[in-house]
Amino acid sequence: MTGGFGPTTVMRRLDWASPPPRVHREVLSALPAEPTGKPPLLFVHGVAHGAWCFAEHWLPAAAERGFPAYAVSLRGHGGSGGARRLGRTTMREYVHDVLQTIAELPSRPVLVGHSMGGLIVQLVLERYQAKGGVLLAPAPLHGGARAFLSLAKDRPAQALRTAVGGTLPMTPEVLFEGLDPAEGERLSGRTGRESPIAQWQLLFPRTTGPIRTPVLVVGTPDDRLVPLADVERTARRYGVEPLLFPGIGHDLMLDAGQDGVLAAVLDWVDTL
Amino acid sequence: MADIGPGIEERAGAYAVIGAGMSGLASLKALLEAGFDADCYERESEVGGNWNIDARNSRIYRSIHLISSRPFTQYPDFPMPDTFADYPSHTEVLGYFKRYADHFGLREHIAFDHDVLRVEPVDGGARWDVTAEGPEGAPRTRRYDGVLIANGHNWSPKMPAYEGLDVFSGTVLHSKDYKDSDVLRGRRVLIVGGGNTGCDLAVEGAQNAAATYHSTRRGYYYNPKFVGGRPSDQVNDTLLMLRIPLAVRRLMYKATLRATVGSFDKLGLQKPDHEFGETHPVANSLLAYYLGHGDIQPKPEIRRFTAEGVEFTDGTSADVDVVVFCTGYLATFPFLADEHLNTADGRPRLYQNEFTPRHDNLFVVGLHQPDSGTFCLSHWQAVAAVRYLEAKRDRPEAARAFRAQVAAETDRQFTGGMRFTDSTRHYFEIAHQDFLAGVEQTIHQLEGAR
Repeated sequence: MTGGFGPTTVMRRLDWASPPPRVHREVLSALPAEPTGKPPLLFVHGVAHGAWCFAEHWLPAAAERGFPAYAVSLRGHGGSGGARRLGRTTMREYVHDVLQTIAELPSRPVLVGHSMGGLIVQLVLERYQAKGGVLLAPAPLHGGARAFLSLAKDRPAQALRTAVGGTLPMTPEVLFEGLDPAEGERLSGRTGRESPIAQWQLLFPRTTGPIRTPVLVVGTPDDRLVPLADVERTARRYGVEPLLFPGIGHDLMLDAGQDGVLAAVLDWVDTL
Repeated sequence: MADIGPGIEERAGAYAVIGAGMSGLASLKALLEAGFDADCYERESEVGGNWNIDARNSRIYRSIHLISSRPFTQYPDFPMPDTFADYPSHTEVLGYFKRYADHFGLREHIAFDHDVLRVEPVDGGARWDVTAEGPEGAPRTRRYDGVLIANGHNWSPKMPAYEGLDVFSGTVLHSKDYKDSDVLRGRRVLIVGGGNTGCDLAVEGAQNAAATYHSTRRGYYYNPKFVGGRPSDQVNDTLLMLRIPLAVRRLMYKATLRATVGSFDKLGLQKPDHEFGETHPVANSLLAYYLGHGDIQPKPEIRRFTAEGVEFTDGTSADVDVVVFCTGYLATFPFLADEHLNTADGRPRLYQNEFTPRHDNLFVVGLHQPDSGTFCLSHWQAVAAVRYLEAKRDRPEAARAFRAQVAAETDRQFTGGMRFTDSTRHYFEIAHQDFLAGVEQTIHQLEGAR
């Protein structure tokens, strides 16, 4: 194991004293026609997205390749409940939502987290040993200061709005590189709001206990939200080389070329 | 498989787990997760141990629910569904264990319907021979690198002796044989014991029997299951999180009890002869309710039984048809010689209720009576055992240092400042957070700097 991991956290006093409130949880899925013996995949979305962003292409495509594929909408997102409490929702509650979903699956899944979902997956992996973990353009565990500064340079007005609690910009220019404008508008129009607390939490560095799950890190040099240097640093933490897809935007599962990304992810999963 | 003796099967590199209840499942999972080979022996044909109500050795009854709420109780890496009640029923709990076993692929490593007869050291404990009897008949012996014992401590009944019990003409039961209220319906009932089972059964008596007498040796604190609409253990964990000192917490508990249950004296109960928290907590909101309705008549200790009924130490008597002794269970390890668990006066003396100073490849998981849930504690005990095995393999100097500590601090208590009443059911009583912080320390120590 490489450096950067703290000791195992056993004492979780806040979770014992005050568990997150129960909300309805949306889990979308696409299953292979016949059982294939392949591990289930559980996709976790990022800021202001929902399970829908994986249902668009990846769930059916993964099922086609024999994987039972699931995607969860974190509370306050997509078709899950909790929208009214979104303003008070914290990262801890998102971690809870993912652990709850895992416990419903028939066997140990491979967790695939995108952006903020990539950070959540790392926080889950310190508690739960999954079959594998895939981090797509992950929000960095070492804190999003660099990402925020780069956003402030490119889009000062939007950065300021985010700093005071607005949702990060989810416009087609930010999310996509090669999508035709109408499709970009349609998909970006499906994004919602994000919890300002969760967004602020993205800025601060964290550490995790030992992670014993094999991890794949995927990124793109053309990401306008998560800088390449952050993706590379995340990969170093796990002692792996990041898999890079130039020409694709931050939303690797929606942008043109997404099929190549999924194929590479599933090829890696097949080696586990 | 190499043959090393008449009929002994070599299981080099593998560990045996005894029991597939809440502690055995966690132990088996922790071993497999870390890449160790393991066989688990379970005498029933399903997982769940005590929570498998159809099992011969299950001691639970149809109305039972957890007395601690989900957040602390559950396995930390496999939470109970949010759709469960705050205090799940035994059917929910058993379903949870089944899904845990399936999710982590444990079943193929469990020998169901196998009764462990003997666990014996080879070469002074370098290896261990586990002899078990399965449905095929003849006992078989396998040789392991070590054993994790998770046989539970709530199955071997403790039965008190009373003068006249042999002449009593009514029905006498231990709660181990109590499954539902049919046996109480319409009859005059004496429930003996102020623990959680005793209180549950007194309530069932109030709801079903013609008359219910509840005999307790001492006064206890009967805690409501909810305070201010929240499960009371979560309220307690909030106070612990805020690091409120024990003395202040006790004042707050007593104030809460006065506000919710009221005065014990007024209900006719004995005043507790001990401080709050010094006996295993009783969580029961209904006992006080039925006392207040006169449907339960509180009684002190029994003096003797007569043919028709019972006499109490306060001079009163009652005619009863049924007596249920809710007098608890004893921890026993019938397959293992006492010395291996460092047993003195019938009590195993183990570091953190888990590590015996006698052997470094023999562990007990689940020998704890916390003031909260248990699955979480067994999970981390199992992780601690496995971290020790890893340290022994990868970092022998850290493992040796830990062994020295096990020997030196065997009797260290994790009671959060409480002085528990001394009895057979209290010697492994622990304060959940204090104990778990100790287990966390062990895990950190064995993980070392990576």
